[in-house]
Amino acid sequence: MPPNSYISNAGRRAVQDPKAARWLLTGVAVIFLLLFLVLPVLLVFVGALAEGVGAYLRALRQPDALSAIWLTLAVAAVAVPLNTIFGVAAAWAIAKFQFRGKGFVVTLIDLPLSVSPVISGLVYVLLFGARGYFGPWLAEHNVQIIFALPGIILVTLFVTVPYVARELIPLMQEQGADEEEAAVMLGASGWRTFWTITLPNIKWGLIYGVIQCNARAMGEFGAVSVVSGHIRGKTNTLPLQVEILYNEYSFTAAFAIASLLALLALLTLVIKHAVEWQARRAYSRPQEENVA
Amino acid sequence: MKIEVRNITKRFGTFTALDNVSMEVPSGTLVALLGPSGSGKTTLLRIIAGLEQADAGNVLLDEVDCTQRALRERGVGFVFQHYALFRHMNVFNNVAFGLKARPRGTRPEKVEIHERVFRLLRLVQLDQFHDRYPSQLSGGQRQRVALARALAIEPRVLLLDEPFGSLDAQVRKELRRWLRRLHDELHITSVFVTHDQEEAMEVADNVAVMDAGHIEQTGTPEAVYHHPSNAFVHKFIGDVNLFRGRMVNGSLRLDQKEAESGRPNEVFVRPHSFRLTQAPDGPDCFQATVEHINPARPLVKVELLSEWGGAVQVDIPHQTYQELQLERGMTIYVTPTQFKVF
Repeated sequence: MPPNSYISNAGRRAVQDPKAARWLLTGVAVIFLLLFLVLPVLLVFVGALAEGVGAYLRALRQPDALSAIWLTLAVAAVAVPLNTIFGVAAAWAIAKFQFRGKGFVVTLIDLPLSVSPVISGLVYVLLFGARGYFGPWLAEHNVQIIFALPGIILVTLFVTVPYVARELIPLMQEQGADEEEAAVMLGASGWRTFWTITLPNIKWGLIYGVIQCNARAMGEFGAVSVVSGHIRGKTNTLPLQVEILYNEYSFTAAFAIASLLALLALLTLVIKHAVEWQARRAYSRPQEENVA
Repeated sequence: MKIEVRNITKRFGTFTALDNVSMEVPSGTLVALLGPSGSGKTTLLRIIAGLEQADAGNVLLDEVDCTQRALRERGVGFVFQHYALFRHMNVFNNVAFGLKARPRGTRPEKVEIHERVFRLLRLVQLDQFHDRYPSQLSGGQRQRVALARALAIEPRVLLLDEPFGSLDAQVRKELRRWLRRLHDELHITSVFVTHDQEEAMEVADNVAVMDAGHIEQTGTPEAVYHHPSNAFVHKFIGDVNLFRGRMVNGSLRLDQKEAESGRPNEVFVRPHSFRLTQAPDGPDCFQATVEHINPARPLVKVELLSEWGGAVQVDIPHQTYQELQLERGMTIYVTPTQFKVF
């Protein structure tokens, strides 16, 4: 063998599949993604605009549709901030303190992810429904939870509990409590330590968690479906409205509303991507500058 | 500011980290807490700082009990082992943090903060790095930022947890001398934790040797080295040969028979406290063969195998080495000139 062949081999990695196999594998993956992910999303928009832009906009301006949009925004506006506060508090407690039953708390936070959303909805019906444990008492005091806004908010809170906390726990555990201890030793109050040290350190993880939490809060179907009662113009969120319209064969209207949710999903993806990019940059920037 | 630790006990679950520890750090001195890992030295430092609560006992700063005082009011500067610099702040803001965190009434003006931070940065020779981020600094530089940050609040007491622990040997030695000079300049009562005896000896005015939650001995480096109060301190500080033997009629017997009969004592001899001769020399001497010689040092390091088969390490001056014409495999007579029996 001439010595040159060693040299040409040196550039190749020791373990590498033949070209044909690489193209085949990549091709299969791309076709699969196009077929099962991109195409359906595109079809949503195609369906929504099937009868023209005018019909699309008309469908979105229906009172029921507007009410569904408002309801969805309202639910997210309550559930997301509450779960953000809870998530930060829980992650803080779990990452920075030692206490008994910590493993149990972590498991508990994950519970909504392992329980079917329909079950989560049913649990709340069992608690607050007309025949539930607190039902008679609530009826006596004229408080309606099930088939009303409070119920929808409660189940949404339940299913979105894990998102912020799960994002922050590993991050804060990795960062440890050293910087906070240093800040307190330098005379900072607990509040100041949180705002000037903890929060900047978890910023990107927190935003990421909030985005995921928001996407789930707006898109939740199963649990909300159980407690909402499907009252048109009152307790239908966007996903429920899509289902109703679809069952009534109003395809254009159904797709129009669905396109809003699809847009939300796309927006979430874009923000997620930007946040990930930012976080990577924030992490690696100093080293790059160091080289320069 | 004098630091006084009184009867501190601290348990983590069933593990006793500190067992009734008392200690005094005179005002203006630099004291090293020296011990192997797990001896409780970091726990003691964190209790003095207030980062950890003792189960029992008190910490007094200038006769005032601080045990129940809030961390922030103690006026303690703390340098963390891994620096704990604020990663999202540049060097200037790291050092300025303590000044900016003061309540409105006592917070200095912006101009004054700027001036004081730069004065500190000049002190630690980092003024031209003021806008760098911690990740852009070397280990030694980070350490100095951590120190400047701790000094910014004008602490009455400075505590350092393994200040040179994660630096490489060269930087370590340099920073060590630098810390000593800094202390001579500022005279802040300081305590630092280390597992490196050389570091403790070189930097500290006083050394407290710790083991298994106790302070075994406190004293000047000289006293601890030359007059160790027990076997642990002797073993831990400096190189030492350990023999089993005992005193018989005023002379030291180290041979196998003595070691086996009755209850032998532990006899400690430093490597430089031997006399080597070619012929038997008095009742204390024993016979050994030369195993290995390393002359590439200030003192020639000779490894011997004693007549009962134990390894003995001896340091002799080059002149003695040449006079004896030492060679591998040679038989030689060894007499301990200075030793300690426990």
